[in-house]
Amino acid sequence: MDIAEAVAPGDPILVIDNVTKEFPGVVANDSVSIDVNRASIHCLLGENGAGKTTLADILYGVFRPDSGQIRLEGRPLDMASPGDAIAAGIGMVHQHFELVPPMSVIENVVIGTPARQWLDLTEARRRLEEFFADYDVEIDPDAEVGRLSVGEQQWVEIFKTLYFGVEILILDEPTAVLTPQGVTELFAILRRMRDDGLTIILITHKLKEVMDLSDRVTVLRRGRVVDTVATDDVDQLDLARMMVGRDVLLQVDKQRSEPGAPVLEADAIHVESDTGRGALKGLSLNVGAGEIVGVAGVSGNGQNALFDSVVGVRHPHSGTIRITGQDVTTAAPHKIARLGVACVPADRIAQGLMMDFSIKENLVLGNHRSSQFSRAGILNQSQIDAFAAESIESFEIKTPSADQVTRTLSGGNLQKIIMARELYGRPALILAHQPTRGLDIAASEYVRQRLVQERDRGAGVLLMSEDLDEIFQLADRIAVIFDGRIVAMIEPDATSLEEIGMHMAGAGAGAP
Amino acid sequence: MDDFFTYSVILGIFVATVKIATPLLIAALGELVAESSGILNLSLEGTMALGAFSGFLVASESGSLWLGLVGAAIGGALLGLLMAVMTATVKVNQVVAGLALNILGLGGAFFWYRSVYDAGGTIDLPSVERFRTAAVPLLSDIPAVGEILFEQHWLTYFALVMVPVTFVFLNRTKYGLELRSIGHNPEACDMRGVGIVSRQYFAVIFGGAMAGLGGAFLSLSEAGQFFPDIIAGRGWIALAIVIFGNWRASWILAGSLLFGFLEATQLALQASNVNLPYQLLLALPFVLTIVALVLNRSRSQVPLALTIPYHRGER
Amino acid sequence: MSERVDDTGGDERTDPADRNPLAMLFQGDGWRLERRLDTRPVHEMYATLAALVLTALIISLLVILVGVSPLDAFTSLYEGALGSREAGLETLVQATPLILTGLAAAVAFRSGVWNIGGEGQFFAGAIGTWWVYELLPGLPAPLLIIAMFVGAAVAGALWASAASVLLVRYGTNEILTTVMLNFVVLYILSWLLSGPWQSPKTPYFQTERMDEKTFLPRFIDDSRLHWGLLVALAAAVAVHLLTRRTGLGFELRAIGVNKRAAAYKGISVGRTVITVMAISGALAGIAGAGELLGLHHRLQLDIAEGLGFTGIIIALVARLHPAGVVVVAIAFGGLINGATNMQVGTGIPFALVQVIEGVALVFVLLAAVACRYRLKRTVRHG
Repeated sequence: MDIAEAVAPGDPILVIDNVTKEFPGVVANDSVSIDVNRASIHCLLGENGAGKTTLADILYGVFRPDSGQIRLEGRPLDMASPGDAIAAGIGMVHQHFELVPPMSVIENVVIGTPARQWLDLTEARRRLEEFFADYDVEIDPDAEVGRLSVGEQQWVEIFKTLYFGVEILILDEPTAVLTPQGVTELFAILRRMRDDGLTIILITHKLKEVMDLSDRVTVLRRGRVVDTVATDDVDQLDLARMMVGRDVLLQVDKQRSEPGAPVLEADAIHVESDTGRGALKGLSLNVGAGEIVGVAGVSGNGQNALFDSVVGVRHPHSGTIRITGQDVTTAAPHKIARLGVACVPADRIAQGLMMDFSIKENLVLGNHRSSQFSRAGILNQSQIDAFAAESIESFEIKTPSADQVTRTLSGGNLQKIIMARELYGRPALILAHQPTRGLDIAASEYVRQRLVQERDRGAGVLLMSEDLDEIFQLADRIAVIFDGRIVAMIEPDATSLEEIGMHMAGAGAGAP
Repeated sequence: MDDFFTYSVILGIFVATVKIATPLLIAALGELVAESSGILNLSLEGTMALGAFSGFLVASESGSLWLGLVGAAIGGALLGLLMAVMTATVKVNQVVAGLALNILGLGGAFFWYRSVYDAGGTIDLPSVERFRTAAVPLLSDIPAVGEILFEQHWLTYFALVMVPVTFVFLNRTKYGLELRSIGHNPEACDMRGVGIVSRQYFAVIFGGAMAGLGGAFLSLSEAGQFFPDIIAGRGWIALAIVIFGNWRASWILAGSLLFGFLEATQLALQASNVNLPYQLLLALPFVLTIVALVLNRSRSQVPLALTIPYHRGER
Repeated sequence: MSERVDDTGGDERTDPADRNPLAMLFQGDGWRLERRLDTRPVHEMYATLAALVLTALIISLLVILVGVSPLDAFTSLYEGALGSREAGLETLVQATPLILTGLAAAVAFRSGVWNIGGEGQFFAGAIGTWWVYELLPGLPAPLLIIAMFVGAAVAGALWASAASVLLVRYGTNEILTTVMLNFVVLYILSWLLSGPWQSPKTPYFQTERMDEKTFLPRFIDDSRLHWGLLVALAAAVAVHLLTRRTGLGFELRAIGVNKRAAAYKGISVGRTVITVMAISGALAGIAGAGELLGLHHRLQLDIAEGLGFTGIIIALVARLHPAGVVVVAIAFGGLINGATNMQVGTGIPFALVQVIEGVALVFVLLAAVACRYRLKRTVRHG
């Protein structure tokens, strides 16, 4: 492209030209070409694993593309690090915040600025206060960032990025931590920023956000661009079809449930949290045998504490938890597991698996002391091998051998290992926290079908998910969690996304 | 027992306290900077030994104690460089790398010493004319305080000056702020375009140079000689002091003085033939450090990413 | 369909070429350094061999600098270590405590517990041995020896537990507490030897010589090699069986890989940490008893001489495998033994041993990182 060529507003400011990025065994971005127009909001839409974040990371200099080129205002960019991207006028707010918790807001803002060596915070403070006043945000510039709420931290992140004077702002799933109302506020401000001339690239997997906000949208699927279209020319269904690659008919086949005796009874439990966020403040919840209770809520409202206290790795300081009628409020995790409690944790790698163990070892993890797999403390290798072979077959785990190191498997197969292990011994209660996060459609469907099968067998399932569609699909009853309490218990047929959204924001009818 | 509490004995204890604290303080301040960048350098003992020797070697070959100090700093910095390569670049486990370089530093110093000085077959320990104490004009005339604080070695003044210097550097300069940010959350810094590896190199090499100078205090100011057991655990004590001081320069000064005081007191006790098990005083600082670890746990200032290597793109 | 695409979604993303500045060296056209997901034992073996060759090269260079021919030096070293029957046996004498302190470190590190206190636990074991000796003087010899070993194991385990209890209860970093406790036990021993247990016959810090009935039997009259070696080898076998074949071993390894996941699967991390520290401390304590009863026969301050720290190096060079610990400990024993000969024969300072240990460990660590990568030919397009 000729550098001297005039660029009028609305012309492409950023051109992604045939970019390919490969990780071992995975092509994350395959010949991706996108034009992003000046002073517009451009959405990158795709499922988890479609390659959106990798593409954004390439735009921000985190990764270097294997081939292809990025051009900004017609000039090719060769970025070795985010520093180069910042220098070129590109800023990014990551999905998980890049903040230094023990430091103040203002200190976080000035990190990385090419300023004088002595810390002179007056200029930063002036601009910070101006910005906050401009957008009606009340945050103390001297507050320790670790003590701010998630929403406030996101403001710090956004301002931090704008402080450098960027022309292009990339936001990676910025609404994951916000209530529906918070999303509305954020979007209003993003529109204002666009009108002021900022180019915004927004990464999301939520169709509604694309329709609400964007001028143009690029749909990615398995690392490839499906199409780039003007938002006005499409509707949600078109986008969904492009995103998934076929007609979306995601109804899981399931009958109405006939709940039996309660398997989980949580009564007014209080659980403290280290950070002060995500504590439980008198949560009560029942799950009966043979039903799926879906817990909907914005992350950080106590889901982790609920999961942990039922599993037994954290104990409530008041209230009681009963499982199949037995008081397990302060019981150790292995005692709880023995009652037939299965847990599918949100973070497979950090909470669910030993990545350096073999697959077969992971398949018996937790059950390794059971009479089937060990005798008098000695492991029974032949039984373990037999169980591993059986699980690999029945759960369709793709691996050359049960002795393979778990690290080499993909996310879908990792989740299958966890499912195979947790469903061993026909559990009475299954805790599933974000069980399909990061999985592709096929693997997600597999996991969901399995959960329904277990329910039909008579297990009680507590499903916590940030994916409201998943909750609506699977749950027999929906419990909305907000600020450490269940604020609403609703039948899925008798409610709407909007009503759930209001409850999730703590603004539902009857909420305190 | 009565004659133990005389003015001169007690004054002597305080003078010795500051002197004994000097190498600990220098090494601990260097380690504070290194740890602030997220790298725990367990090789202080070996680094001090190497510094003590390289300082001694340069001083005795060149005849200049000041060049000796430069030699000590370079010796320590070289081991620090190796530590930085292993931890910041190759990202080997920091504990393991520290232990490896610790034994390398200790072994290297003794090996080098023996191969330089034993070859001639001398029996007497080789020695250099050591640093004399340098009284600060006027200030040293203040009763008691003058003798305790202002009739010390040059390196002692250096150590004391480095306390506020380190504080200001870490807390009032942009580079120091970035260094501490790396220690808490390297990814956040990387995503701001703040170079991590170069800053960790600086911090660890600086820490090594300081440990080298701490070692040089022992060989050039205190003993005027080098011998195999010259460091005698002071590297480990300096590590303990950083924890005891909860990663703050001022408290590290206090911790060094406390260690110095206990050591000085037990030396005085031994010299005065007071029949007390002096070993208990020697063990006390280590017990106190453990107690401090327990007590400080809720308001710990430990760098959050200490010992955790950073790989871009791995979350 | 491609199962693997979802890998790029979140947690599992890695970009080998950008992960490591070293990798930049290989970022030229056509080649790049790529992370291997699976490292095979063969790779580790080659890497370790390469590390040892490099160590030998560096040490040769050092020896040349001192003005000795590396051939002379290594010959002298070899003669001292394995050159004769006596030398070989003495190498095993040196290796005996190292096997045990090496196992002590390996067991703890395998569980991700950084017990740097092997030295202190060794002394605690020696103190425990003497304490049982004073307590039960009338016991017949075999029983007394067994009782003393048990006393040593318990004392080592208890001393290690001081660190693990603080770790589990308050989260205090065990690296630092175990190091601190090394000093504390040394001063306790120094106090014991300067007063309560001091032999009245000498001004030195040492106890009386022990009764001959407590001496560990020797294999041959003219060598110091004692039955402590059998204890050490038995311990190595026991540690291997424990970690590989038992439920407890499964849990020990599990907390070393992922403490959080272990906790979610009902493994009590605290209890396991305490167990593993007790095992580790007991092994180091047994080393103390072996040295006391097999070699020194009296308690004094210089019975460890860095055995605990050398054990740590051994465990790491052996990549924490029990059989490897035995091999490396014997090699290091030979090194210590041979270096004495080398010092006399060629004038190369004995401290070369520590240099070799340090350099070897550095290279083994680098090799371990290196074998996680491979050079891959890349096809550039576009």
